[in-house]
Amino acid sequence: MNALKDWVLPPGTKFGMGEALTVAFAYFTVGVTVTILHVSQGTSWSAMLGVIFLVNSVTPGLAYVAVTDAGGSTTAGVLSGWLVSSRFGLFAAAIAPYLWPSRWKRALAAHGAFDPSVALGLREEEPLDKRRVYIAAAFWMIVPWWFGGVLGILIGSNVGDPGALGLDAIFPAVLLVIVWPQLRERDSLTIALVALIAALALVEITPGGVPALAAACAALLALRPPLPPGFDPEEAAPC
Amino acid sequence: MLTWTVVIALALGVYGQRAAGALFLKADRLPEPAKRVLDKLPLAIIAAVIALTTVTAGGQLSLDARLAGVAVAGFCAWRKLPMLVAVVAAAATTALVRAVF
Repeated sequence: MNALKDWVLPPGTKFGMGEALTVAFAYFTVGVTVTILHVSQGTSWSAMLGVIFLVNSVTPGLAYVAVTDAGGSTTAGVLSGWLVSSRFGLFAAAIAPYLWPSRWKRALAAHGAFDPSVALGLREEEPLDKRRVYIAAAFWMIVPWWFGGVLGILIGSNVGDPGALGLDAIFPAVLLVIVWPQLRERDSLTIALVALIAALALVEITPGGVPALAAACAALLALRPPLPPGFDPEEAAPC
Repeated sequence: MLTWTVVIALALGVYGQRAAGALFLKADRLPEPAKRVLDKLPLAIIAAVIALTTVTAGGQLSLDARLAGVAVAGFCAWRKLPMLVAVVAAAATTALVRAVF
């Protein structure tokens, strides 16, 4: 049991019961609301189960619906769904060095590459802790998301407007709280702000998925040479 | 509306990208500058996703109650309040602003 506990709530890490329950609550809510949204638009319960278990992500389906509802073809819709989720490939690559050497294990673990699981994993100092927290966070996300999705199918369109409960603000709120500590570092803050501005500048003039991808280029700012140790930009600045 | 054909196409594309990222992008053999960029990639994309899910809807800029909710979440994070408090406050604020205006 102790071995299992190491992977569900890894001891000695920043990932505690508070983080676990919050992530679980957030993804449960996302699962319920997005499923209700799709089912109320005519998606069958079996196709919805496919989204929940096989796609294992919310945004591709939403991007597909956004593009096809705006008059785009099925192909364009699927392409935008892939574009939106290309960030998962990058996330998987970021956590991959801390996963297992076995290709099968890494390929299996990659199914759990979500925004918060990778961010929470990389937040740890020790390589093994990064792996454990990644797996634990993925577990606390995926299982509630599956349950939430199935519950969403059962509820169907009987719930009026999920927006009336403010549930649509939960996804960005969780992500913001997760990356907040990183934003204390000046370089990271710059990268985040450039990415934010780029995404919003592109959102109305490019197809769905492109803004988030283009914003990823802000990470290239990390190529700037690191500041020498002891150098304080606050003191160096003339004002 | 999502059909099974669409679901399977999406699933193959999404898992294919996840697996390819985990298997073929060898981050530990990358040169130091590439590692630094890879390290900041999630932050850049997450920042963009936060912006897009907060102030856009259906590919258009759209300022609504979500912005107030996410701002409250940011305040809670700044005050180092627990994540659950921040998230519940964000949802409650969004619902409240929406109900009042």
